[in-house]
Amino acid sequence: MDFSWLSDPFYLGYLWEGFVNTLWLLLVSAVGGLLLAVLVALARLRGPRPLAWLVWAFTTVMRGTPLLVQLFFFYYGVGHLMEGVPGIQETFMWPLLRDPFFFAALTFILSVGAYSGEVIRGAMQSVPRGELEAGRAFGLSGFQVLTRLWLPRAIQLCLPTLTGEMILLLKSIPLVSTIALMDLLQAANIIRDETFLVYEPLLLIAGIYLATTVVLTLVLRFVELNFPGMQPTQRRWLPIR
Amino acid sequence: MTSSLQHAFRPRSSTAPAVVANQLIKHFGDLEVLKGVSLDVPEGTVTSIIGASGSGKSTLLRCMNLLERPDQGELAIADEAIRFDRNPQGDIIGLDRRQLQRLRAKVTMVFQQFNLWPHLTVLGNVIEAPMRVKKLSRKRATALGEHYLERVGMADRRDAYPAFLSGGQQQRVAIARALAMEPRLLLFDEPTSALDPERVNEVLGVIRGLADEGRTMLLVTHEMHFAREVSDQLVYLDQGNIACSGTPEEVFADPRCRQFMAPAA
Ligand SMILES: Nc1ncnc2c1ncn2[C@@H]1O[C@H](COP(=O)(O)OP(=O)(O)OP(=O)(O)O)[C@@H](O)[C@H]1O
Ligand SMILES: [Mg+2]
Repeated sequence: MDFSWLSDPFYLGYLWEGFVNTLWLLLVSAVGGLLLAVLVALARLRGPRPLAWLVWAFTTVMRGTPLLVQLFFFYYGVGHLMEGVPGIQETFMWPLLRDPFFFAALTFILSVGAYSGEVIRGAMQSVPRGELEAGRAFGLSGFQVLTRLWLPRAIQLCLPTLTGEMILLLKSIPLVSTIALMDLLQAANIIRDETFLVYEPLLLIAGIYLATTVVLTLVLRFVELNFPGMQPTQRRWLPIR
Repeated sequence: MTSSLQHAFRPRSSTAPAVVANQLIKHFGDLEVLKGVSLDVPEGTVTSIIGASGSGKSTLLRCMNLLERPDQGELAIADEAIRFDRNPQGDIIGLDRRQLQRLRAKVTMVFQQFNLWPHLTVLGNVIEAPMRVKKLSRKRATALGEHYLERVGMADRRDAYPAFLSGGQQQRVAIARALAMEPRLLLFDEPTSALDPERVNEVLGVIRGLADEGRTMLLVTHEMHFAREVSDQLVYLDQGNIACSGTPEEVFADPRCRQFMAPAA
């Protein structure tokens, strides 16, 4: 094992940039994706028929095609198609459309929106009707029932599943190295190409991913444990006896 | 405690009944569940609805806060005639949303399954509607909430979540939640049916206390002895019709009514 390249500030710089990009992409995709997921769930449950159908089609396509294909589709397909739109190079949109980060985030947001949207929809359906009826019976408006009772309860119910989705998201991020975005895998690839070392850089980034996953798991577990109204039996830090 | 709340509840001196229901008809699909039910609940009195399973008791109760919308008939609650939208045939097809919200702040309900909100604390459950519907400040709502939690003997569990409480305790919190709106009319739908037998009395005790205070209540129950004891009026519902009604003495003295009661009593 040769880790001497770790003393090279250039390689450390790549790794750091890759790490920061990975975290940013995770954060943006998680926040944007979960917001979209709520809208997806709502549209499917309460939206007008045509919208519900449209969203169903969106969900089916996003869940039925590989993430890598979607990433290429948006970056090479949509991205290069947009280049041909007259005048677009003068708009504020142009820098975005040149930016692989934008397309990576877009793809992940749509993907999380589709997967987590289904999860949230299921959770919303399993909130006992009586709780929502109690809200209506006390005069809460439909919007108040949604934001104060229905959504918080649904998220409480599916929080462990959403945690799993976020961990899967983190580990999908290396796909972006294929569209020339500097993530951890891209950094490892550069180091391999220049040092001819195959295993060491991979081992290092695998370690970084593992550590990030553990930290992410603990953070999300903390959120779960402190979510209002958790059942007493679920109050255990590690799901191990 | 909180002396400013001593007078929070005061029976109204107005003589208009809290509920006037006239010829209520309600269908679920082809099934006619209420077949023209008329019912007055005088202010400051307790009315119990009894009857066999499926006779329409819950449906009638739920018409009183319009969780169910009757198909025909008239309804006045807390001095307000409910303004129904009707088609030319007189069938009810809609409601006035504003009025509905106002009504529901004045008529609150205690459910068989408690229906507490599990992600809110005991106090959170009690102050939610006063804050969001009556727009009370958190401070004011909390004072009110603590007062009524004290009233049902749950003040010491104000920060607990519902999942940590027994059924009887949850139902008492649900009663505090209904009281905290300071309603004109309290609705109870079989409040003790989901409880373990040894928990029934703590809840009945609270309801009896409310009856003694002179609160206006409409109660669906299978607890015949309790109904007889606390009610000013008993209503026996049979397949969507009122088969018998009157004071408990009248109803139990009437041989025809007694025959209805027999299986239940
Ligand atoms: N939302 C609904 N949709 C269709 N049918 C309903 C609905 N709610 C009630 N029903 C039917 O209406 C009838 C009366 O129901 P209701 O709940 O009012 O009876 P109940 O007297 O309260 O009975 P129980 O003592 O079992 O609670 C029953 O046959 C029931 O199946
Ligand atoms: Mg019932």
